[in-house]
Amino acid sequence: MSAVPLPLAEVLARGDIWRGDALPGLPENAIASGHAELDAELPGGGWPRGNLSEILVDRCGQGEMGLLLPALASLSQAGGWLALIDPPWQPHAPAWAAAGVVPERLLVIRAGRDAAWCCEQLLASGGFAGVLAWPAVSIDARALRRLQVAVEGRPTLACLWRPTAVAGLPSPAPLRLVLAGEASGLTVHILKRRGRPAARPLHLSIPRPGRSSRALAGPSLSAVAARSTALAAVA
Amino acid sequence: MLWLALHFPLLPLEALPLRQSPSALVNRGRVCCVDRAAAEAGVGSGQKLSTALGLAPALAVFERDAGREAAALASLACWAGRFTPTVSLAAPDALLLEIGACLRLFGGAEAIVAAVEAGCREQSYTLTWAAAPTPLGALWLARAGRAAVYPEANAMQAALASLPCVVPGWLADVVERLEAFGLRCLGDLRRQPAAGLRRRIGNAPLDDLLRAWGEIPHPQLAFVFPESFRLSIELPARVEHAEALAFAGQRLFSALAGWLQVRQLLVRACVLQLTHDDRSTSELPLRFAEPAADEARFARLLREHLGRLQLRAPVEALCLRAEEVTARPGASAGLFEQAVAGEGLALCLERLQARLGAGAVRVLAGQADHRPECATGWREPALDLPLSAASTVGQAPPRPLWLLPAPQALREERGRPFWQGPLSLQSRAERLESGWWDEGEAGAAGDLRRDYFVARNPHGQWAWVFRDREGWFLHGLFA
Repeated sequence: MSAVPLPLAEVLARGDIWRGDALPGLPENAIASGHAELDAELPGGGWPRGNLSEILVDRCGQGEMGLLLPALASLSQAGGWLALIDPPWQPHAPAWAAAGVVPERLLVIRAGRDAAWCCEQLLASGGFAGVLAWPAVSIDARALRRLQVAVEGRPTLACLWRPTAVAGLPSPAPLRLVLAGEASGLTVHILKRRGRPAARPLHLSIPRPGRSSRALAGPSLSAVAARSTALAAVA
Repeated sequence: MLWLALHFPLLPLEALPLRQSPSALVNRGRVCCVDRAAAEAGVGSGQKLSTALGLAPALAVFERDAGREAAALASLACWAGRFTPTVSLAAPDALLLEIGACLRLFGGAEAIVAAVEAGCREQSYTLTWAAAPTPLGALWLARAGRAAVYPEANAMQAALASLPCVVPGWLADVVERLEAFGLRCLGDLRRQPAAGLRRRIGNAPLDDLLRAWGEIPHPQLAFVFPESFRLSIELPARVEHAEALAFAGQRLFSALAGWLQVRQLLVRACVLQLTHDDRSTSELPLRFAEPAADEARFARLLREHLGRLQLRAPVEALCLRAEEVTARPGASAGLFEQAVAGEGLALCLERLQARLGAGAVRVLAGQADHRPECATGWREPALDLPLSAASTVGQAPPRPLWLLPAPQALREERGRPFWQGPLSLQSRAERLESGWWDEGEAGAAGDLRRDYFVARNPHGQWAWVFRDREGWFLHGLFA
């Protein structure tokens, strides 16, 4: 049937073929994450485009967005559109702008029951540089498979946020990370990736607000200050 | 010049979309127009209504309405604006399109005819057509059902010569007299000496004949495309399901697309007004993510909107008006066709807005306000939105990515705020004192005096908390 056999090197260079002992290189499809240690462990050297990535995290506010923000900022500044589907909290425009995301290119969608449909539409449209979704816990493997099919071959960074409780359940996403917060940064355990499995968790330092940044000190409310000793804890 | 005549033989009836079959139109108690199903049952023009009902008991009967026919013809003229800017009405039921100047653009008369036929099929109008060098010649050939292109005068004259002498518009006694002379077809008539004919049948028919033959000029009054677009359509029956309106609505959007094409405009927003059977109206606004003129896109968006619409009462009429139009920028098409992956951003946004409602799909907009509640603005997404200038945040104090919808009160234990464990403060207080101007206004954030802190709890969560006269509150998260 196929008269001309493909050279082996060409077959191995395909995105859907990977070898157990090496990380496949997909340079044109990846976006540098901005964290060198993480890039070294991700196939292609960065966040993949055209594939689902699952990030499993239990609590917000541990620095999990800081993991993606450098990549999102570079996509946004290149003129790309970003979409947040059902984020757990309201985005605060000044912070996103300060992180380098263009606010007018950040779409926030309240989809509710239509979240999976909405996510599929966004991914399949091919018009978005980044799609971040917080799907309901009940999203099943079939819906995830549909999303993976929708995003395949599109120039979109697709990221699903899910609780760590689903780590044991099967998922068609080619990249799955489990995050845990710690005092100095973030622990990233790569649950699944294309290529050889990851041996040990990574410790990333995420820039955090607080002591290092200069906060404006104003006169304290005398009534409250008298009642609270919290300021002593800071000083 | 090459005139394409479009004759809509069933226009009086087909001006009523969504009518059931068989159906017939009645004028002063006599049937004057029947559809195919009625004709098959034996109903024909000129019958008494009682005869027609005897032949087809299920016949739906409508009163003839000249105003409605004129509106339908005007809507078809708008629609035809996509082919040529030179359109003339040949009332009551035909259009004349001058296509000689745009043959190259479409790739020949056959291509235009194919597009016209497809368009009429989509709007379900029955069509007969012919193309010829004179407007009247094309019209007579179209009425006679000679569906062909006659690019040369000779071919057209030969075709005209074989038509019978019964020409609509000529007085009955003229036709009778011609029959008495034994003249069967227009060719026979044309061979008679003109002076004698003029004495016998009058000036008007002879002039018509000479115009059709192209021997005297026949200037046409061009259809004036309206300055603003507003078109209504009356439904023959009350429609109770929104989806059923898609077909009638599509006729309106077809006309809109033609009008936009001929006036070189794009539409950004339009309104579909529904008139209910209790004479009340409701409006369905349609917005496009970017100015558009594409009929297929209109139809898709309309279907999405109608799929969600709950009708308050049955609908009797539709009216479409273009609200915001912009000039179409001169754009050059790509030389090589580029593969488009996916439907693109604009269509996706429109679909989401149609399904989820406009308020559910928004983009952020920074606002110059120190109060966190007011620093985030929301806008409808639009592709041609100007981007805000690069923010000059630099040394500004940290702001959290996420904000709670409303500050959440925290309890305090031994002087420390609690949020899933005791919070340790990581920064010095930042005083926000702002907003005296809208104090007391409904829905406004009002005057704030707060000390904000960055705080961390034992689970490693970084929070933004504040303290005011009422105690500690959680307001955001540094994610």
